[in-house]
Amino acid sequence: MVSPSPLPKRDSDFLGLKKELPPRRNWLLGAASFLLPLVLWSIVSYVPWLWHPLVHITDAGEVEMFSEGMDLPRADFDRANAQAVKEGLAPGNGVRVNPVYLPAPHEVARAFYTAFTTPPRLPGEPWLHQSLWHSVKVIASGFLLSSLIGVPLGILCGSFRFFSRLHEPFIEFFRYLPAPAFGALCVAMLGIHDAPKVAIIFIGTFFQQVLVIANTVRKVDPGLIEAAQTLGASRRRLVTRVIIPSSIPEIFTDMRILLGWAWTYLIVAEIIGATSGLTWFINQQARYRNFDNVYAAICLIGFIGLGTDILLAKLGTLIFPWRRRNRGPSFLGSMITRLIKPLKKSISNAGSSAPSATPDTTSPPTPTAADTPPSA
Amino acid sequence: MSASPLPTSTDYRTQEPAVADRFKRLYQRPVILSVDNLRKDFGSNGSTRTVFDNLSFNIHRREFITVIGPSGCGKSTFIRIAAGLDDASGGQILLDGQPVSGPGPDRGMVFQGYTLFPWLTVKRNVMFGLEMRGKDKSTAENEAGLWLDMVGLSKFENSYPHELSGGMKQRVAIARALANEPRVLIMDEPFGALDAQTRAQMQSYLLQIWRKVDVTILFITHDLDEACYLSDRILVLGTNPGRVVEFIENPVPRPRSPAQFASPEFQALKQRLEELIHPPVEIEEQQLPMVRLTEAGDDVE
Repeated sequence: MVSPSPLPKRDSDFLGLKKELPPRRNWLLGAASFLLPLVLWSIVSYVPWLWHPLVHITDAGEVEMFSEGMDLPRADFDRANAQAVKEGLAPGNGVRVNPVYLPAPHEVARAFYTAFTTPPRLPGEPWLHQSLWHSVKVIASGFLLSSLIGVPLGILCGSFRFFSRLHEPFIEFFRYLPAPAFGALCVAMLGIHDAPKVAIIFIGTFFQQVLVIANTVRKVDPGLIEAAQTLGASRRRLVTRVIIPSSIPEIFTDMRILLGWAWTYLIVAEIIGATSGLTWFINQQARYRNFDNVYAAICLIGFIGLGTDILLAKLGTLIFPWRRRNRGPSFLGSMITRLIKPLKKSISNAGSSAPSATPDTTSPPTPTAADTPPSA
Repeated sequence: MSASPLPTSTDYRTQEPAVADRFKRLYQRPVILSVDNLRKDFGSNGSTRTVFDNLSFNIHRREFITVIGPSGCGKSTFIRIAAGLDDASGGQILLDGQPVSGPGPDRGMVFQGYTLFPWLTVKRNVMFGLEMRGKDKSTAENEAGLWLDMVGLSKFENSYPHELSGGMKQRVAIARALANEPRVLIMDEPFGALDAQTRAQMQSYLLQIWRKVDVTILFITHDLDEACYLSDRILVLGTNPGRVVEFIENPVPRPRSPAQFASPEFQALKQRLEELIHPPVEIEEQQLPMVRLTEAGDDVE
């Protein structure tokens, strides 16, 4: 009964449920996810009859309340002009603008450059790159300090029920205490400079870290542990030679996510004690009403975060070669691959003396479907 | 067992003289694994369920034992206890006269799910047990190379497990277990996840390997053909509670080849196993409600 119909063109299926998209389309959609909000922002900024609730006075005319360069609500502008015309005075002129807290995309783009090149207002205040570096240092210290204790403790808790029962209930309780709540305490104990900020990042990261990593470690395939036991592995070796290597790629992924959380604690941490870093820059610029700079600094956090994450993801595929499967390339990932390729090559060349550690990625021996052994 | 000449209507208990002679010699070999009144209960105090009880039998050196039984007879549990991954509730297993407690390299294990270490190359996987036993790296590397040669995978020594097919993975797992030179190789439905063709190939590989290596094999399967094709003796377990129903001497002469699948001994043995595993209880065919969704005259049966 079925009449021969042309096969549905698979390529046109944009909305396949749980289906991989072709790499090119992946890439385009990834770019579109950034373009979409940018287009919205541009429409609001550049289409003069959309929103633009204020009038920027370009020519005050003879209206007493106008002065060149001032912004005022459209209704007030119209009323003042109407009044002026009635009184026989020359009306003012102006253009419709958005409030100062919503700069146009090109202004923010320009601010990306100028924010770095503009010297601080007061001598002794940090430049933007100095503020940024300060923030990175605070994050890195807090995160490293937390990882130094959190990762081993997480692995122990995930491996041994003993440590899990001994530590996890308290950590479970503590993680509900919001890190900013410890701000005042941290300042009292650690002073007003960087120490309390690092402590806030630590508190915000550590407790989640232990639990997340313990859970990851618990997910190690018990079959692998049993296999190692029947091969004669001691308890210590089970941890160092099976549990850790088998969970390390997931731990690495956990760390990427946790690092993202650490960034969200940064702003809170930086207003504790003496405001510093990017937060100081943002607050300062907001005070001067340089909102383009404010936006630039906020976007900067996003770019640094996303950039680090992509780099770490790529690093992951580099250091965990057994994880390299043919998955669809991640968003922007293909671009990073292109950047990283020369680096990869040099690393695998350098490591060619130890072939087991870094196998030659250019020609992996691929098994044939017909499973034929060379001998036998 | 009498060594009478092969009668016309084959009984699974009648053996050719060569086969009977082989068993006679086999029983003169030392006992390697002795199972003594083994019992396993599940559940804690209050409601316990006995998985099996009174398991007792001996396995001789270099025997190939297959274990079959209906689901729930505890064959996997038994094998896990033998491997030391579970504890018995009563009785004991003796390996070379020593009670088994905990897993050890003297009992190699091959699992259905391969359980290769995905972060290690094929060669490093095979080296794992050797390193655990304290061999230095170059010795371990050499030995691993030999074992990979034996399973025919030296070409793939630097591949990662995910680059191999199922059959190749299982061969690596066998090499990894054998590299430790275990006294007993325990295999828990090792070819259950493979397609029929690969499974047949793996069975012949396994026989070849077993011929070359001094190892006793304890092999769990639910595939009766596999049990008949590989084994010296077949341990048939029953349920409720698990127990030894019969320990059958396999009458199919060695060396084995797939051509023997049609031989009378093979058929007789398989039929006996069928009877033991699937007792002739009629499964009542339940009548489904008669709702017809096809046209009359379109009958398929």
